[in-house]
Amino acid sequence: MASPRTRRQKEVRRHLFLYGALTPYVVLAIFPIYWMAITALKQDPDLYRMDQFPLWFHLAPTGKNFTYLFSHTHYGAWIVNTLVIAIWVAVITLLTAGPAGYALARLRIPGSENLGISVFMTYLVPAIILFLPLSRVVALLGLQDSWWALVLVYPTITIPFCTWLLMGFFKTVPMEMEEAARVDGCGYLGALIRVVLPVSIPGILTAVIFAFTLSMQDFLYGLAFVAPGDQKPVTVGVPTELIRGDVYYWGSLMAAALMVGLPVAILYNFFLDRFIQGITGGVGK
Amino acid sequence: MTLSTSSGGPDAASARAAAVSITVRTRPRRWFRSQAARRLGFGYLLLAPAVLYVLLLVGVPFLFSIYLAMSDATVGDTNASFIGLENFRAAFESDVFYIALRNSVLFTVVAAIFKGLLGTTLAFLLLRPFWGRKVIRGLVVIPFTLPISISVLGWKWMYDSQFSVINWFLSQIGIIGRYGSADWPIWLGQPLLALSACIAVNVWRNFPFSAIVLLAGFTSVPTEILDAARVDGTSFVQRFRHVVVPMIAPILLIGLLFDTVFTLSDLGVVYLLTQGGPANATKTLPVLAYQVGIQAGALGRGAAIALFLFPLLLPLMILLLRNLKRREY
Repeated sequence: MASPRTRRQKEVRRHLFLYGALTPYVVLAIFPIYWMAITALKQDPDLYRMDQFPLWFHLAPTGKNFTYLFSHTHYGAWIVNTLVIAIWVAVITLLTAGPAGYALARLRIPGSENLGISVFMTYLVPAIILFLPLSRVVALLGLQDSWWALVLVYPTITIPFCTWLLMGFFKTVPMEMEEAARVDGCGYLGALIRVVLPVSIPGILTAVIFAFTLSMQDFLYGLAFVAPGDQKPVTVGVPTELIRGDVYYWGSLMAAALMVGLPVAILYNFFLDRFIQGITGGVGK
Repeated sequence: MTLSTSSGGPDAASARAAAVSITVRTRPRRWFRSQAARRLGFGYLLLAPAVLYVLLLVGVPFLFSIYLAMSDATVGDTNASFIGLENFRAAFESDVFYIALRNSVLFTVVAAIFKGLLGTTLAFLLLRPFWGRKVIRGLVVIPFTLPISISVLGWKWMYDSQFSVINWFLSQIGIIGRYGSADWPIWLGQPLLALSACIAVNVWRNFPFSAIVLLAGFTSVPTEILDAARVDGTSFVQRFRHVVVPMIAPILLIGLLFDTVFTLSDLGVVYLLTQGGPANATKTLPVLAYQVGIQAGALGRGAAIALFLFPLLLPLMILLLRNLKRREY
């Protein structure tokens, strides 16, 4: 009679302890984002004052900072650029990393394990080493000063990662179906398209998400290769174009940052475990 | 598996040689029509686009950067001449280079210690199921998933010289005086504070990564093994030290290496917060390479400075390679 109650009490105590201990971490992680959000929604007279509690509104919240972005800056163009770049990068990544991942996982290519690792290792060659020679490549192709330069270079980040990810994914697709299809007269290509592709939709979707989120994490390439104000992706346009001289318009800056940052963060959030699985080599499912 | 397939190459070649020699008389199915050949041909065809892309836009530029580093190339001028190790010598002779090298190493090491501490404790707290665990985990990883240039802007505002919300807190609890008093910290304006401020942003952004990697490691340890160890009468500490740690060590190492590579080569945080200032106090190798290579237009000098990261990164990459190879997928 007493035992369930004490067990329940123990559970409650454990939860209270965990919540208490986790609170500082959550505050640490979330506070900057809260601060950005409230800054974006404040009127300027409310923002630049030091005599009042800064974490809440003292004048009515405003959406002015958001509308300003679309009426007075290239913000709309940056969002379009970012989306178009992301679509191109995703297409290029799928068309290259998809087949490569499949070949490495399934077609028993000699030394495929080592090949896969070598491709993956190029993910770790940092942009800071590559951006100067790539700036020459970009200039050579006449792509400087347009976002096409980023369509060209972002796949160098996404292809290695997604090849590795998809290689792992294709290994989990049951082999028998594919062989059965081949016995039934499909060629290798036929088996790939008719049998493997349909069951690989989740893997392909994951690769698309990473093509998007990983290229959003870039700052250096966008900064170095794209100078004209209306050609930049959001992640570069906001920090470089919205700051005029030493004057910071913090309200609209934070509005611009969050409007893009939060959707990406939330999307990435759902796929984070796959990312970690990818880099640690498929453990911890 | 790897061994047997890799020895398939020469075997296949000799098989082809044999097949060719017979072809003349008996005309069996040619090798290139065989099942294996079709499979391999198809395989290499599928592999080619990705490998070519990476070779052309990572491999070739990497070699090209070594050439650039040994030339006097500039942004405007396309005729560069070979000047040997001159750029490296120039780097070694400049004080800024040493400051940047020291800052880079200091930044990476100090940040890694804090990320390790925060990440480990957080992973332990999130290890066992509790009500609301998924939500808390989702909230805590947001710093890592937010695009880097976006979150650095938020921090720049928090470090504002006058309206810093951090200073407001410190002032409220009485650690510092009011605005204008001598102990009012200018986060991005004082050398030591500026470096700490940059490190703090890196720690904030990446401690969730440490935690999640550790969690992935912990959950990969089969409970049967832990139960078996428990039945054998081991203590928690013993189990942790002799069962858990060895089993998650490879994952830990991979996480650490990834984090180190990205921290060491990151430009965004420092560039957006301080541009390397005040007075080079936060100048790291990536910032220096960017400023010399793009802003000052000295491609060769910039490439040489960026390449200095490579010897720092290479041992880490080799370690990682060996780790990835050792684990069975």
